[in-house]
Formats: sequence, C-alpha cells, structure tokens
Amino acid sequence: MMGDRPSPPRAMSSAPTSSPSVDKVDGFSRKSVRKAKQKRSQSSSQFRSQGKPIELTPLPLLKDVPAPEQPELFLKKLQQCCTVFDFMDTLSDLKMKEYKRSTLNELVDYVTVSRGYLTEQAYPEVVKMVSHNIFRTLPPSDSNEFDPEEDEPTLEASWPHLQLVYEFFIRFLESQEFQPSIAKKYIDQKFVLQLLELFDSEDPRERDYLKTVLHRIYGKFLGLRAFIRKQINNIFLRFVYETEHFNGVAELLEILGSIINGFALPLKAEHKQFLVKVLIPLHTVRSLSLFHAQLAYCIVQFLEKDPTLTEPVIRGLLKFWPKTCSQKEVMFLGELEEILDVIEPTQFVKIQEPLFKQISRCVSSPHFQVAERALYYWNNEYIMSLIEENSSVILPIMFASLYRISKEHWNPAIVALVYNVLKAFMEMNSTLFDELTATYKSDRQREKKKEKEREELWKKLEDLELKRGLRSDGIIPT
Amino acid sequence: MESTSPEIHSGVSAKCRDDKVEELWSLTSFFGYRTQTFVQAVNLLDRFLTIMKVQPKHVPCIGVCCLHIAAKMVEEESNVSPTHELIRISQSRFTVSDLSRMEKIISEKLCVDPKVVTALTFLHLYHSAVASLLAEREEIPSIGRLEAQLKACLCRLVFSKAKPSVLALSLIAQEFEALQSATLLKIIQQFQKHLRIGDSELLHWKELVTKCMIEYHSSECNKPDNKKLVWVVSRRTAQSLQTCHFSVPGLPTIPEMSWDESESEDSCEDLTSGEDSPCGSLGSDGEGAFFPSSFHNCAEG
Repeated sequence: MMGDRPSPPRAMSSAPTSSPSVDKVDGFSRKSVRKAKQKRSQSSSQFRSQGKPIELTPLPLLKDVPAPEQPELFLKKLQQCCTVFDFMDTLSDLKMKEYKRSTLNELVDYVTVSRGYLTEQAYPEVVKMVSHNIFRTLPPSDSNEFDPEEDEPTLEASWPHLQLVYEFFIRFLESQEFQPSIAKKYIDQKFVLQLLELFDSEDPRERDYLKTVLHRIYGKFLGLRAFIRKQINNIFLRFVYETEHFNGVAELLEILGSIINGFALPLKAEHKQFLVKVLIPLHTVRSLSLFHAQLAYCIVQFLEKDPTLTEPVIRGLLKFWPKTCSQKEVMFLGELEEILDVIEPTQFVKIQEPLFKQISRCVSSPHFQVAERALYYWNNEYIMSLIEENSSVILPIMFASLYRISKEHWNPAIVALVYNVLKAFMEMNSTLFDELTATYKSDRQREKKKEKEREELWKKLEDLELKRGLRSDGIIPT
Repeated sequence: MESTSPEIHSGVSAKCRDDKVEELWSLTSFFGYRTQTFVQAVNLLDRFLTIMKVQPKHVPCIGVCCLHIAAKMVEEESNVSPTHELIRISQSRFTVSDLSRMEKIISEKLCVDPKVVTALTFLHLYHSAVASLLAEREEIPSIGRLEAQLKACLCRLVFSKAKPSVLALSLIAQEFEALQSATLLKIIQQFQKHLRIGDSELLHWKELVTKCMIEYHSSECNKPDNKKLVWVVSRRTAQSLQTCHFSVPGLPTIPEMSWDESESEDSCEDLTSGEDSPCGSLGSDGEGAFFPSSFHNCAEG
C-alpha cells in the first residue's frame, strides 16, 4: 500500500524517468510502445512539522461502552482523528497511524449502523475532522509535462487514512439522521469552495470520492446549488480559456449530468447559457478524450430536455470542428451520431445543410478512420430514415465527394463502404441520383476537354518557341 | 403489375432477375461504366436465362459475369475493373476462378457480339434523327435523360420481351407526349410508319413505359430486400464504436426544484474566505452577474 522504496522524508518521490515521446501512429499512441512498467509514484503534502512523534491516547471501542456514553466518545474519537500523519516518511509513527486507521474504520461502521448518535455537537466536529484531513494544498505534479492521457498519475500517499475519511463523510451525509438544516451552518460556501479545489487531485480514487461527496451535498443543500453551479462554471471557463489544466473535469461533468437530467422544464435561461458558453467550448480543449464521454452525455441530456437547443449545439460543434486532430474528429463524429439518434425531424431539417457539408468533408478525409466513422452513419437506421426524407437536399451535397473518393481513395475498405452509401442513395431517389450522375459526368468531360485544350495550347506555344529559337540560331554570324 | 408469367425459365423468378439487374445498375454506376455496358450486360443476362436452366443461387455469378463481359467489350481496357475488385465491391460470395469459368460458359452458349443491336442503339438513332430534323429553337429531352429512363425500364423483366425498336420508340413517344409538340408527334408517326410498327403494339408498350416512369419519378423509396449490405469496419473503429455508448452514469438524478435556491437565505451568504475567485467578490447577492464580464471577450472569440 505505502511506497516500499525508502524515500527521504518531506521530499516528493523521485520522478519516474521523464516520459519518452511515445510513438504515435496516426496520432494514436500505441499502448504496446509505452514504457513497460511505470513505477507507481506517490506524493503528499502532509508532512511532519516537528521532530517529536505523535502520541494519541487509545480510547475504548464504541461497542464496549454503554449507549448514553457513546455520543461523547464519538466526539472524542473525531477529535483524535484530526491529527494528520506524514505518509511520505514510511517509518514514522507506525503504531499511531494504525491506531488512527482502525479508529476511522470504527467510525465508518458506527455511522452506518447506529441510531441516535448524531447530536448537534457532532456536526461541527465531523466537519472539522474531515476538513483537517482532506483540505490541503495539493502537491504539484511530479513531472512538468504530466500528460493525463499518457502517464500514470501520482497517487496520494496518505490514502489509507484519506479513503476512510471520505468513506466516513459520505455515510455521514447519507445517514438517515442527517439533517441539512443543522449541517448547513458548517457545510457552507467556503467548505464547498475548498472541496472543489480538491478535484484537481491527480489521484483518480480521490476524485471518485469527491464526486460522490459533491453529488450528495448538491442534492441535500438546496441553498448551495446556485453557488456550486457558478463555481463549476468558473472552473471550466478557467480551464478552457486560461490554463487547459484541471484533473477533475470528467468527475464534475458526471455530476452535472445527473443535475441536467433533473432539470425542470422549461429550462432556465441560466442553464441554456451554460450549455452554449461553457459546454460547447469545452470541446476545444486538447485533452478532450479524458472527459468526452461525460461531456457528450451532458450535451445529449440537454437536447432531450429541450430539442430547440439542437440548432445552436450542432452549429457550435461545427464551428469548433477539429481541423488537425483526427482523434478528436472521430470523437466529434461519435458525439454527433449520438445527437442525431435523438434529434427531432423538424430540428434536423434546420441544420442538415451545414451538417452534411461537414460530413461530406469527413468522408473524403485521407485519414481512413475519420472517413470510415463518417460513412458508418449510413448504417444507422434512424439517420437513414432522416436522410431518406430529405434526400433531395442531402444527396447533392454528398454526391460529388462520394463519387470522387470511390475512384480516388487509397484505402480499399473505404471504397467498399462508399459503394454501400451510393447504393443506399440510388435506392432512395433514383431520379435525382441519375441526374447528379449525368451532371457529374458531363462536368468531368468538360474539365477533361478544357485540360486537353490547355495542353494543346502549351504545346503550340512550345512549338512557337522552338521555331523562334531555330530561326535565331540559324542566323549565320558575319 | 405485369400480367406476364412470373418466370423466365425454370427456377428464376422475375423478381430475382429484376433485383439482379438493379444491382448491375448500381455496379455500372459505381465503376463509371457507360450505359451501353449496362444495356449489353442485361441483354446477355436475359438471353442466357432464356436458353439455360439456372438455379437461383447462380444468378449473382451470372449477373456479375455478364457485366464483366460487357465491360470488356465496350469500355477502354484501362477502365475495366479487375474481377477481384468487382467481386469485393459487390460483396459476392463466389471466387475469381468461379467467375472465369462462368465467363467461358456464357461465351460458349451465347453469341457475344459487341455490335449487338439493342434498344439503346435505336434510342441514339431516333434521338439524333429528331435533333437533325428539328429547327434550332425546339428543345428535346437530352439523350442522358432518355438513357436513364431506358435503364429504369430494363430493370423490369417485362420490357425484355419488347422489340428493341419498339421499346425505344415508346420511350421517346412517352416523353414527347408530355411536351405536346405537334411537330414531335408527327416525327414519331413517321418513324412508326417507316419501321412498320403497329398502333396497338406501340400503344401497349407506351402504357407500360408510362406506368414504369411514374414509379421511377415517385419519391417513394424502394429498397430491394434481396441482400442486406455488409458494413465492414476496421478494428479500431469497431472498438471505438463499442466504447462509444455513453452509458448512464452511476450517479442518480438530482431533480431541480421549482422554488430552488433563489428563495433560500443561504444563497446570500457572504464569502468569508477572501478567496481570489475570478468572478470577484459575490457581495450580498449570491447570484450576481452569472458570467463575469472578463470572460465575455474570450467567449466570443
């Protein structure tokens, strides 16, 4: 559990060998090429402030004490757990660390099963204990170039205690006896703000707990909801426009997903603004792959709540369509398909032109995965039915690129898929298809003719030049 | 629709033949072959099916084979698609050697003549004749349009029973009728007399052609259900398609209350920590401007 390498006290664990540039194929890194085993690095910002060891007087177990005395004992144990230990120093205070761990364990069980233990005095003590343990400045990332997509995260060294504290807090919040009206004095905006900062932890286990904690707090404290939403807003905006660094985006989006799911209709203007000003721009971030699933879920939830938002959403995605990152393009195509899966036909008609212009570009992409993903839309029954209804608009947009890549694309699998698509169009609207084929062919013929004429013209010019050259060369110098 | 017998010959239904011909048209279009290739392929197919007893399971191979033979006759060598490509694109089950064996059989049984006279030949003849007879200002339907209509007709077995000259004439007659030009109709009558085509015969085929054209021009989508096309994607795309399903997250929904927040006193709590938040101090009103002005410029960019 704890780092088994003896590490100097107070120091951050030595950084793993700086990540070599992993071979990327098509912009996608090969898992097999990643360094074989990255040492699990740990870090912490809790360190020993003094030289002397920590001493805690062992208290009796709660179950060994008669019921009336339990609440007070409970408080005493909470106070004891406010003591924080240095886990980077693996040799210090081992006995006391174990004592705190077992105490925390006991508290977790106690909160889960007990009745009548939660007095008013308990609330501030609980919040104090939790605050002491979890609120801390997060240690800076080990390597400057920590790439969340590539590298193993640095884990929190004090996790053996921290995990139990989170576990305890969650059960406390979920307890039947929990009363938000009392708790709100202690779980306030300041508390929430500090909680949100912790979402930047590199340790995914911690973020997972934080996600549950914040979710419960949002659910139970109606007075904090607007504040929480606004703060998340700020975090995202800072993330998108200033730092492009924050580790907890996926977790926050997951919470937002459950909030969006519960929006009342008609949607408040504030929520719609959030969608357009925050969620859509989130798509532009480089590390999109880390939270794309959650982001797409939020988007689709919004559209299921209010279909009239479809047009601004799709226009927004088209505006931010990736131009140089194929991995992102494939993600966008996936998200777009999910959106189309729930789109209303009236909304579809509004955006079909710009949408299929983009799809037409994707289909012609030399990156075969992008082309393939776009062509696969034609395997989606619902999308096909929408295309059928509007084939007279969509077919002309798609036709030229489809026909061209059927002749020119380097990838045979793509060519085969194009056949599927062309065949589908042929069956949908034969007259239009034949018209477009005829136009396309005559256009190509005209182009060929022009090219031929141009070549002949150049040839004529060449001949002229030669003739002139001959004449001048033929002059006999006197 | 047609009152003809449902079978050309033993085993192969009209529907089976029609579906196959439609597929040949898809392939013709895809490979950029000319209409003549298609017409000759259909000609070979129909003739072969007439003289031979064929099992339905062989029809795909025969069809593709006829197309290939026709392509070799009509198209430039560089334009003819290699057989393996033909098989791959049409998602056929037979092999290249199957195809070449079939080619031999067909060549033996049929007289394969590149100069065979088809309805297309007559169509071109009529069209150029009419064009030369008319004054400049009279517009006639383009040959491309007529070819497309002929293609649509050939996709129905009944029309293979018509004489090529009659079929082509009925097509043109049907088109000209819509234009209601006396000159054009007169020209038709002249052709008819010259070729000794009876009135009732022409009428009969014209009716069938008209019916066919109505269906062709209708916006109804017709999907032949003979074969569902296979979508083969690369491993990577297949993987991403699987993981793509944005499953419902593990967190339960939090319903929004209609009287949420704005009424509650807590939203007005002052921020006491003095944190440097980018939106500035909230003041006594917890709501404030939802989007701090400093971000407005960025958001627009």
